[in-house]
Amino acid sequence: MFDFSAIEFGWPFFLRGVIATALFCIIATVVGLILGTIVALGRVSKRRLMRGLSLAFVEPFRNTPFLVQAFLIYFGLAQMGLSLSATLAGVIILSLFSAAMFAEGIRGGILSVPKGQLEAARAVGIPYLTAMRRIVFPQTISYMIPVITNLTIGLIKESAALSVISVPELTMAGQIVVGETFRPIEAYVSIAILYWLLTAGVVRAFLAIQRYLSHRQAAAVKALSASGLSLATPQLK
Amino acid sequence: MPRGDDPLTNLPELLEGAKVTVAASFFAILLGTMIGTAAGVAEKSRLRPIRVLVSVYVSFFPGTPLFVQILVIYFLLPAIGLDIPRFTTGVLALALNSGAYISQMISGAITAIPDGQLQAARALAMPRRKIWRRIIVPQAFRLILPPLTVEFSSLVKNSAFLSVIGVVELTRTGQQIISVSFQPTQTWVVVAMMYFVMCFVIGLMARRMERATSAQAFR
Repeated sequence: MFDFSAIEFGWPFFLRGVIATALFCIIATVVGLILGTIVALGRVSKRRLMRGLSLAFVEPFRNTPFLVQAFLIYFGLAQMGLSLSATLAGVIILSLFSAAMFAEGIRGGILSVPKGQLEAARAVGIPYLTAMRRIVFPQTISYMIPVITNLTIGLIKESAALSVISVPELTMAGQIVVGETFRPIEAYVSIAILYWLLTAGVVRAFLAIQRYLSHRQAAAVKALSASGLSLATPQLK
Repeated sequence: MPRGDDPLTNLPELLEGAKVTVAASFFAILLGTMIGTAAGVAEKSRLRPIRVLVSVYVSFFPGTPLFVQILVIYFLLPAIGLDIPRFTTGVLALALNSGAYISQMISGAITAIPDGQLQAARALAMPRRKIWRRIIVPQAFRLILPPLTVEFSSLVKNSAFLSVIGVVELTRTGQQIISVSFQPTQTWVVVAMMYFVMCFVIGLMARRMERATSAQAFR
């Protein structure tokens, strides 16, 4: 019943699909981290306007289906005369979505650091952004790694929806193979397994990063205590 | 059938589609909660094969796209001789997906129940089954009510994928209107706004519930 010749036919498509999906998600994660940090800073800003603007950016992405966002942006831009290739549109759509999701995660990270840290830094005259960069953000790392892991997995899964605007990624590869072989079950089960391997790989990679960071930190703490100093700030776990 | 060019003249159709979206999400959360509760309890089973089965389930479903799951289930059911309507297929796929997340909430909530209660129940010679049914599950359920509401709003969004297997819910209705009116931007803005209102309201409910539950949490 399970026809392996369909998989034999499809694997070059699947391979290209996996690479494309991975590339899209890497780009979207990087953009998400950068743009998301800016939006998160807006979300915790003292200025009402900044808070309002960043909230207005985040909420539509959070409260509508990604599928509808893809349709709206892709066909919306086309109707306004801006015809992007499906691939470029897909990267932009996924990156914007990613920025909104990461913004909320990073905001959570910023809020997880006690307020007194920032206040103390400001009180001794450290500029706001420097204080954020040197004092607040480093302390969010242990909180952020699981959050980033989940967000990246979310991106991999949501990116499947880009196939509906014909972005050449893994799900699209599956649809192409179905069109050629008429074996939907074989093709879709194969890509499901590939997606599963991708997300499992991401989890493994981030666990390794987490282990590396905690090792390095333990070493730093040890070196510091050996030199007779002690950590006055709360330590990372 | 869609009428004019203006998306607002198609509002009745869109509202009809929104109803299907809500119905699908509602049935999916009901079924998903049942599946999730069963899986969450089975995760603590004494039988190893059951535990293995559950761990495959909770690893595979959250690790693959819902879109692909819907496609697999849509083609798999007829292949094994089950000819059921698309709406039912869609609800089943959504429920299986949600169930994996809900089972994680359940097993988290089970761990949150103080050990003393179980010891007390056992000291009173309550049978194991009764402990689960009368003590653990009801309390766990109360704990997961806020995250379950959040899950419901995810379902409203995720149900958009049912459009690809031809369930005429909100997104599919939008596509049908566009195929007649050729006004994608306006129509998608209206569709997005309808999703936004639904999810935003559900989100508010979740936050209110969260406050209510944390106020009466275990002391």
